[in-house]
Amino acid sequence: MARIRFEGVGKRYPNGFVALEGLDLDIRDREFLVLLGPSGCGKSTTLNMIAGLEEVSEGSLYFDDELMNPVPPHRRDVAMVFQSYALYPHKSVYENIAFGLRMRNHPRAEIDRRVREAARKLEIEPLLERRPNQLSGGQRQRVALGRAMVRQPAVFLMDEPLSNLDAALRISMRAEIKQLHQTMATTFVYVTHDQAEALTLADRIVVMKDGVVQQTGTPDEIYEQPRNSFVASFLGNPPINYLDGTLEGDGAGVSFRRGGLRLALPSRAAQRVAGQAGREVTLGVRAEDVDEHGSPREGETVHGRVTSVLPVGSDQFLGVEVEGRPLFFRVGKEMQHRDGDNVALVVNVNRLHLFDRKDGRSLVW
Amino acid sequence: MLFLAPMLVVLSVVAVFPVVYSFWISLFDLRLTRPRSVPFVWFDNYAQVFADPLFWTSVARTATFTVMAVAAIMVIATLMALLLNEEFRGRRILSAVLLVPWAIPYVADGLMWKWIYDSGYGALNGLLYQLDFIDKYMVWLGDTRKTLALIANAFVWKEVPLATILLLVTMKSIPADLYGAAKVDGANVWQRFVHVTLPALRPGFMLVMIYETMMAVRHFDLFFILTEGGPANASHVLAWDVYVETFRKLSFGTGAALAYLIALITFLLAFSIIRTMGKKL
Repeated sequence: MARIRFEGVGKRYPNGFVALEGLDLDIRDREFLVLLGPSGCGKSTTLNMIAGLEEVSEGSLYFDDELMNPVPPHRRDVAMVFQSYALYPHKSVYENIAFGLRMRNHPRAEIDRRVREAARKLEIEPLLERRPNQLSGGQRQRVALGRAMVRQPAVFLMDEPLSNLDAALRISMRAEIKQLHQTMATTFVYVTHDQAEALTLADRIVVMKDGVVQQTGTPDEIYEQPRNSFVASFLGNPPINYLDGTLEGDGAGVSFRRGGLRLALPSRAAQRVAGQAGREVTLGVRAEDVDEHGSPREGETVHGRVTSVLPVGSDQFLGVEVEGRPLFFRVGKEMQHRDGDNVALVVNVNRLHLFDRKDGRSLVW
Repeated sequence: MLFLAPMLVVLSVVAVFPVVYSFWISLFDLRLTRPRSVPFVWFDNYAQVFADPLFWTSVARTATFTVMAVAAIMVIATLMALLLNEEFRGRRILSAVLLVPWAIPYVADGLMWKWIYDSGYGALNGLLYQLDFIDKYMVWLGDTRKTLALIANAFVWKEVPLATILLLVTMKSIPADLYGAAKVDGANVWQRFVHVTLPALRPGFMLVMIYETMMAVRHFDLFFILTEGGPANASHVLAWDVYVETFRKLSFGTGAALAYLIALITFLLAFSIIRTMGKKL
């Protein structure tokens, strides 16, 4: 059982640097929570606070109803997987995995049973006598997981555990980590800067920037209903396209205009900005929200010139210059485009995003 | 090969030649008191050295001195390195002060400690007297039971800085994540020291041990300045023996043989340290 609660938590370093500000977060028992953000956003600081490796300088941190601020790491029921794996270089794989149990004075037979069980699950049994420097990156990763698993902790912390692995291994390890969460049935807090990892693994994602939470929600919510332009641009590949323009209102509804381009806004957005004609806004179009087969309709079509064609196997990325701005769209690979072609792409206007030009707040969600 | 040639020439002149030549000398009965007759005596000089009971007591004294000094250096340097590895106010000043003994030449170090140990106006006597630890001034270096330890003390004082720096560099290279992992794994301060710091320091320990052992076994300066091997041979160590044979008795043959033996002992010690500690690396 572990529910983790942050109440107004901040982290201020002696040199005045603020790593985290006013964090209010309720991590549910057995939840898989992903902290997502660019480097320096405070996500690792948050994780280290849960582990007890960094002090909470403002606010309160609770495990269930117990205040954890003064509790040292070894009295907290947490296990952690580090980005560097942090395996003890002079100990065998067996001893690395057993260390946490030895420090907690578990009986020898119990330690042996748990270590071997974890090794079997992770398929590293033949490696138990080896030293970390005799292992590949993927194997070290497994040992680090094993070391955390045997502890059977209430909270499982992971700090960018996959970022040192090669691409193929990273994807297969994602599946294993998800599986691990299901079998262990404990609270997982996972830090990453990789949006794809966050979207695949998380029950809920917390997007952070400059020490401040930008949005908390399920992967779908975060992707479909970003609260601001930062969140919108952090998720999605290729990233969301932005176009600066103004609102234009007539009787039939509100639309977005930039030069010769006019796009009707989804009704939800139209209601929110009704009567604000002339307001400066930023339009967001996800790369996949275009349909190259649709017949061009007034107010739903972008016209542009193809500037690049990047096949990515299953489909292709199309660079299109629209009203002087380079945009990227994901289209089917059966489309034969060449640089310089003029194209008309039908936009799924119901999925358009609209942000305030100044502070980046979403005008839709 | 062509580019290596100049270096090879220099090396053979300054390194190889003296090594070979001194070995060559050790096979002759070369005495400056009798310079005209220099008979080739095979290994007689070595036999003579081994037959001398003073040689064996010097070996024992050298061993005692080395063990005392190296042990003290290792312990003190480890503690100093642990201290300097922490962040605290004045750390930079302390590390600068720490380097001072390193910069002082052995002759100056020896003279300084000679004054400190002085029986008439030495600081040690003054200090201990004022603190009531002694009721009269002592002739510190005149006490045969204390001489070696007092010289070792002067030696340690000068050697600790380098050893500290070597260990500190090793300590700094330990990734912070390892301590984080150990904390999360439930290790307390002492357990983290034993399971993370100490094993990581092994290469540093090995380096310090080899280097300091070699320094101690061959050390001469302080014995010359502080006691000249006395009192009553209490500090008559191997290096001093070489000096006495060569420059006081002017018997270059036995002196060279002794010097060769010291080199051999040093080599064997370093080799065995690498063998025993290196295995566990």
